Amino acid sequence: MIGGEFVINTLSLGSLYALLALGLVLVYGILKLINFAYGEYIMVAGYTMFLLGTYAGLPIWVNMVVAVLLAALTSYLTELVAFRPVRTHAFHAMLVTSFAVSVLLQNAALLFVSPRSRAVPLPAAFNESISLFGVVTPLRNVLTIVTTVVLLVALSLLMKYTVLGIAMRAAADKFTTTRLMGVPANLVISVAFIISGFLAGTVSLFWVGRSASVDPLIGFAPLLIAFIATVIGGMNSLVGAVAGGYVYGLLFNLLSVLLPASMINYRDAFMFAIVILFLLLKPEGLIRGSYTEERVG
Amino acid sequence: MLSVTDIHASYGAVAALHGVSLEVAEGELVALLGTNGAGKSTTLKSIAGVLRPTQGNVTFLGEDITSSKPEAILKKGISLTPEGREIFTSLTVAENLRLGAFASYDRSRYEADRDEMFELFPILKERLSQPGGLLSGGEQQQLAIARSLMSHPKLLMLDEPSLGLSPALVEQIFELIGKLRDRGMTILLVEQNAERAVQVADRVYVLNTGRMEFVGTPEQLEAELDIASVYFGSNGQKSEVTL
Amino acid sequence: MSPLGKNRALAGLQDSPTIGFIALALVAGAVIVYVAGSSVLVDIYTYLCINVMFVLGLQIYMGHSGVLNFTFVGFVGIGAYASGILSTPPMVKAMGVPNMYQALVDVHMPVVPAILAGGVIAAILAAIVAWPLMRLSDAVGVITLFAGLIVIHVVLTQWDNVTNGPRTFFGIQSFTTLWVALGGAVLTLIFAYYFKESSLGLRLRASRDDRHAGRSIGVNFVAVRYYSFVISSFVAGLAGGLWAHYITSFSPKSFYVTEFFLLLTMLVIGGAGTISGAVTGTAIVSVMRELLRQLEGYLNNSGAISFEVYGLTEVTVAILLIIILIARPEGVIGVREVRLPFLSRKRRPIESAEDTSA
Repeated sequence: MIGGEFVINTLSLGSLYALLALGLVLVYGILKLINFAYGEYIMVAGYTMFLLGTYAGLPIWVNMVVAVLLAALTSYLTELVAFRPVRTHAFHAMLVTSFAVSVLLQNAALLFVSPRSRAVPLPAAFNESISLFGVVTPLRNVLTIVTTVVLLVALSLLMKYTVLGIAMRAAADKFTTTRLMGVPANLVISVAFIISGFLAGTVSLFWVGRSASVDPLIGFAPLLIAFIATVIGGMNSLVGAVAGGYVYGLLFNLLSVLLPASMINYRDAFMFAIVILFLLLKPEGLIRGSYTEERVG
Repeated sequence: MLSVTDIHASYGAVAALHGVSLEVAEGELVALLGTNGAGKSTTLKSIAGVLRPTQGNVTFLGEDITSSKPEAILKKGISLTPEGREIFTSLTVAENLRLGAFASYDRSRYEADRDEMFELFPILKERLSQPGGLLSGGEQQQLAIARSLMSHPKLLMLDEPSLGLSPALVEQIFELIGKLRDRGMTILLVEQNAERAVQVADRVYVLNTGRMEFVGTPEQLEAELDIASVYFGSNGQKSEVTL
Repeated sequence: MSPLGKNRALAGLQDSPTIGFIALALVAGAVIVYVAGSSVLVDIYTYLCINVMFVLGLQIYMGHSGVLNFTFVGFVGIGAYASGILSTPPMVKAMGVPNMYQALVDVHMPVVPAILAGGVIAAILAAIVAWPLMRLSDAVGVITLFAGLIVIHVVLTQWDNVTNGPRTFFGIQSFTTLWVALGGAVLTLIFAYYFKESSLGLRLRASRDDRHAGRSIGVNFVAVRYYSFVISSFVAGLAGGLWAHYITSFSPKSFYVTEFFLLLTMLVIGGAGTISGAVTGTAIVSVMRELLRQLEGYLNNSGAISFEVYGLTEVTVAILLIIILIARPEGVIGVREVRLPFLSRKRRPIESAEDTSA
């Protein structure tokens, strides 16, 4: 029951969850905004794969690249159009705005594409089984893990060794003081949103890769996962987000295995209950960040 | 160099400044004094762009910066060392300094600039790769000032640099401020420690609940207001107690 | 000390003329609609009155604390199901919900106690669940409340033996006429106003923007939020019961994220902190929603467009909300209740506030 396959599955799922949480925390750390529209960046990437795959005759890897880029672009645009004006007028209203943007994008997909789920053409390689350390698993899982590791390393390098990364870390620590250093607020925020969208787009490739379909509400479940994983890991650190993602993935797979068949539909409820209990004991999450809760101006 | 004319500022519905004016000429060290809550920090924040004045103007080197963003104002040459130091606790000393130079970064000059900081603040070189959060209060204050200096400001604004420091460290800080002034830096200093500030300043302003109560030289201040009343805000009447 | 205090802080109640005016306007509207004789208009107005109850209930906790309370529609659902189960005759239940627990099938009470019970059950559940949540920081709190809504939704959708699962629960008696809904709206209006001006309401607002400032004047932040949350959930349950006996059949889908979004918009567009704002926003969005729904139906049925139109309402409402948040975030009405010039009243001096410390 819990063997090699379980491990690969959990690592793969945890990787996805880690990326999800990371994208959410990047924006939260700087803006103190929980971006409800984050799930919709995944939807945009998914629909891009669908539309390009069905109507344009491009190689599938092109579809994937465009999908990820469009997700990043959507993220950037939502900040520019909806969040920035609200941020400067009524900071607390940003949360409501992000919720409105989420509803807007979901229903725009409903309206302009279709309420029904659509099949998405995927690389054939995704579902090919390969054998790794004696375990048989779809290639997709291995690709997920590898991609995640590469992205995590890249992001760490960015954060640690580039001045932009330093500025972003500073902005998450003390936003106003960062501006006093001459760092443009809008630049830092835009970059955070772009990376956030990029991560969401990447997750989308593998998420859609599991079900081979896309529908307007596809972003909902990943959003919720990002929320919970972030909360588990502690909302104030990137490392915490990644840790929270893997822990949540493990919890999901454990419950899937341990719950009796009659209760399996209640799995989500169980998971949240466990998380809420965990929060009562450790409200700051797994990893306490060193940031203060500062209001962004 | 800097000209603040009749600014009003509020935090939401609460008005903090009711028409404040001041000037700083090049090379001067101007002290802005007053009790807690008088509006000294608010004034600096209004100049630095963190707060936008609801009325009045701020002019720097002939340019109107009243509604400019903080990052733009830094580029124009005004650097604010905030109250409470506000160093980035999760960043190393080196990273804090690097960020201070963000707007004015010049690869060929950077090492030399940093060495200049190490000369003024030797302790920073020792602690270069430590996270800012591990530094002591006095070291953090030094880092905060060094960080501001890395941008080669034309006007340095210091918000309560001696706050929370032991008397020995306070001495060190004021020595440093004097040294900077002697090197030609224009400084606007906000302090609650009126006594020491007055000793090092060329001119003095005194704020009382959002209004300017006094402007003049330190000697004039001694004659007119009681220093004690500057602490306790007794509307400028001369009292029995002198310092 | 009782949470509502002795209400000495109900100083002056300067806005009561405005509240009275709103109540009269609601009644007048109902009379006009009734006399006009159009059943469509009566439906719209009944629905509007029920929405007023929802939005004012939402305001009690969310409008004053600023915390986005997703679970509100969950408690509406709990009230709806509870009152529906209690008031529906056993035979109807046995047919409609095949797997229902026998005890639930057998229980049968008149509509009014059933609706009240629905409110009480919602309040009890809120009381059990909410205490730990009130301690969480704002960001974590919002996420937890969001997760809480999901949990309620999952339970409603899965618990066949109680709710008929994802399928429609039907056969509820129709009790909520135009006048019942109107009565409910007016009562909720008065209650919400009293809450707002009460000691509890004031303290809730005090702890909104700056917890430390609130605590320094003796506001017990956690307790204040807790009681307000339970009261808000009670109103949710009651209003849910009234709604259930209006619509007579529903499924868990009615108590989920989109419905919450619509209520949220109604609250925010008018002005989240004021009674007049909440009512105004409700009116605007309810009317808009009706019109758009007619439009959607027309477009779909007339074949004027080749694809099916779904989600037009939500898209439009979302755009409207974003525009308001950018252009006038305090809402159409703003931060203060509407002051009507012809009804202005001399300010009474504030009575001695014995009770302001906790």
